[in-house]
Amino acid sequence: MSRSGPVAAYGPILAVALLLAMLPVATSANTILNSMVMALLIALAGQGWNILGGYGGQFSFGHAVFFGTGAYVTALLQARFGVNAYVAFAAGIAAGAMVGTILGYLSFRSGLRGSYFALVTLAFAEVFRILANATAFTGGAAGTLVKLDVRPENFQFSSRAVFFWIALGLVTAVMLGVRFMERSRFGAWLVAVRENEDAARALGVDTLKVKIQAITLSAGVTAAAGGFYVQYFLFIDANLAYGTWISIEALLVPIVGGLGTVFGPLIGAVALHGLAEATKAIAGRIPGIDLALYGSLLVLAIAFAPNGLQGLMAKIGRGLSFGRAP
Amino acid sequence: MTTHRFGTTRRQVLLAGAGLAGTLGMPGLVRAQAAAVKVGVLQPLTGALAQDGQAGQLGAELAIKAINAAGGIKSLGGAKIEAVMGDARSTPEGGTAEVERLAAENVSAIVGGFASPICLAATQAASRYDLPYIVDVGVNDQIVSRGLKNTFRFAPGSSMVSGQALDNLVKLNDAAGKPMKTVVLVHEDGLFGSGLAKLLQAELPKRGFEVIDTIAHPTPARDMSNVALQIKAKNPDLVIPSSYYGEFVLLARTMQQQRVKPKGIYAVLNGAASNYRFVKEFPEAAQFVIDTNHWYDPRNATAIALKKEVEAQGKFFLYNVALNYSAMLLLADAIERAGSADRAKIIAALETSTFGGHIMPYGPTKFVNGQNTGAAAVNTQVQNGDIKVIFPEAFSDAKAVFPVPA
Repeated sequence: MSRSGPVAAYGPILAVALLLAMLPVATSANTILNSMVMALLIALAGQGWNILGGYGGQFSFGHAVFFGTGAYVTALLQARFGVNAYVAFAAGIAAGAMVGTILGYLSFRSGLRGSYFALVTLAFAEVFRILANATAFTGGAAGTLVKLDVRPENFQFSSRAVFFWIALGLVTAVMLGVRFMERSRFGAWLVAVRENEDAARALGVDTLKVKIQAITLSAGVTAAAGGFYVQYFLFIDANLAYGTWISIEALLVPIVGGLGTVFGPLIGAVALHGLAEATKAIAGRIPGIDLALYGSLLVLAIAFAPNGLQGLMAKIGRGLSFGRAP
Repeated sequence: MTTHRFGTTRRQVLLAGAGLAGTLGMPGLVRAQAAAVKVGVLQPLTGALAQDGQAGQLGAELAIKAINAAGGIKSLGGAKIEAVMGDARSTPEGGTAEVERLAAENVSAIVGGFASPICLAATQAASRYDLPYIVDVGVNDQIVSRGLKNTFRFAPGSSMVSGQALDNLVKLNDAAGKPMKTVVLVHEDGLFGSGLAKLLQAELPKRGFEVIDTIAHPTPARDMSNVALQIKAKNPDLVIPSSYYGEFVLLARTMQQQRVKPKGIYAVLNGAASNYRFVKEFPEAAQFVIDTNHWYDPRNATAIALKKEVEAQGKFFLYNVALNYSAMLLLADAIERAGSADRAKIIAALETSTFGGHIMPYGPTKFVNGQNTGAAAVNTQVQNGDIKVIFPEAFSDAKAVFPVPA
């Protein structure tokens, strides 16, 4: 928590965002834009997980519960009540955050930690999945379809580039927010909880309150990813919303990229997805080759870069500067 | 057997060279001759649906082979059809990503999708490019009810199939002297199972059947003993299961072990009841199971030859093979009539399609809002290690064994 100036703190985030924003200018290939949108979406969900898991040390295996709630609320408000897409999207984020508060209150108040907390989140996601699958209101197993009506006021765009910029905007905003949090008193408390919860309490940190605030923020960010997913694909069903795939993706990218760092989830998502796409392009049409490589990279990352890719880069950087030292 | 995208033979190089030389002299004529029509084949080749996806891809490949062997697209000077394969990875995101890639590779149309969520996402992604998309299976009614101009479904949707299933059941029961009165519904709690169960609960009593129990199970399920015991306790005349492959196989085997013997098993869009693998691996459990599903026309000579060819490769002739084979022929017919690889012209040709050269028990195609209204499901029954069509009689190759002899 070095107290660097605002330029050093926020500058790199804005620089990376600006650089990425040039991508649609550099290429009009929708294949690349589409895969980048997916990578950014996963980065967003992962950043949500990172707030609670990376900074707060509370490992959740069920972030699908927030992703899915954001997705379903966004979809259902439009499909059933004809609510404007942007309002529905905001409501989805709020609903996801609320589920986070409730889930946090229930589990943290009971003193659940570590693997017990992980199991409870996993169970919640499964309960939500089964409920969404069984009730008629969510469209049951057939899912909910948002009406296809490509107009900007419906949060639907004919150009993939616009979706890309929106996703990038969301990711950047959240990264700036996380940096702000990192530098704030709240961020310090949260890290204190991660490092030693009992010691933090002894020093006067209200650990329950900090953890509940963190899970609320975390849930809201991941819910935004869910709402964005709906606007992008216009379809959601129980397995897409509350399935384990998103829980795993959301925790993988910060772990691979760098736990408890602002850039970690983005680096992880771009590295994992970029690599998968690159293999597909190079290795040709062997079905599943990209998935095999994805798995190998994961094993390598965990074996050789326990602090994530960002940690690895920092280590290499230090090694180089040592080399230059007299 | 496949068309290789990257492989270039010496002959092709020579041909291209000759084409190039010719272009200088007579541009228009020769260019039409050389250009192959690229067609996307999108299937879930990896992930949970790989078995179905690979069968679908096989069907499309065999159709392209047959079309090219018969001289390609004649209105385009014998242009060959070239397949560009896509793997939807059993997810809607995977399907969308591959549609983007196929569109970038300039395919003229896409065939496939298999699962409803993949079809919903892929047709929508293709509509951005006004790229014609023929859905092979995807039974969700919403796929063709969204007003997407590019989307065509060759096979029947779920409301068509379930309506036919009910009608056919009544006819079968009446013809046998109404032996079936009580019914137990078994359904998976996912995509189509729940919806179908609800429909059957509402409709069966109107047609003189009594639904005495409805048993839901999850997918995947590891054990069906409880379901089998519940059926045994209720002792219904008829069991109507709607489950995916693994669960129905488990249920049929458990019922056989526990000696649960209803007078009939009548499935609707079942994952296993009309699958040769199930019949081959568990012939006793599969005996006399009736299904209402997509099936090829068993009296069609092309279909019979195709089945032999697929089985000679050591593969099962699943309905996906026949559906994708037919859908690809339908597309080739549209390209032929459009006389162009242009996407808009192919869509226009599909809209007015009256294609009868497929191998399904349908009649000529007629598309209304993208749905082939000539499509129909049939009733199949497992009889002595083979799958026979028992209804409707115009396409049947066996008599129904209904009720099952005790």
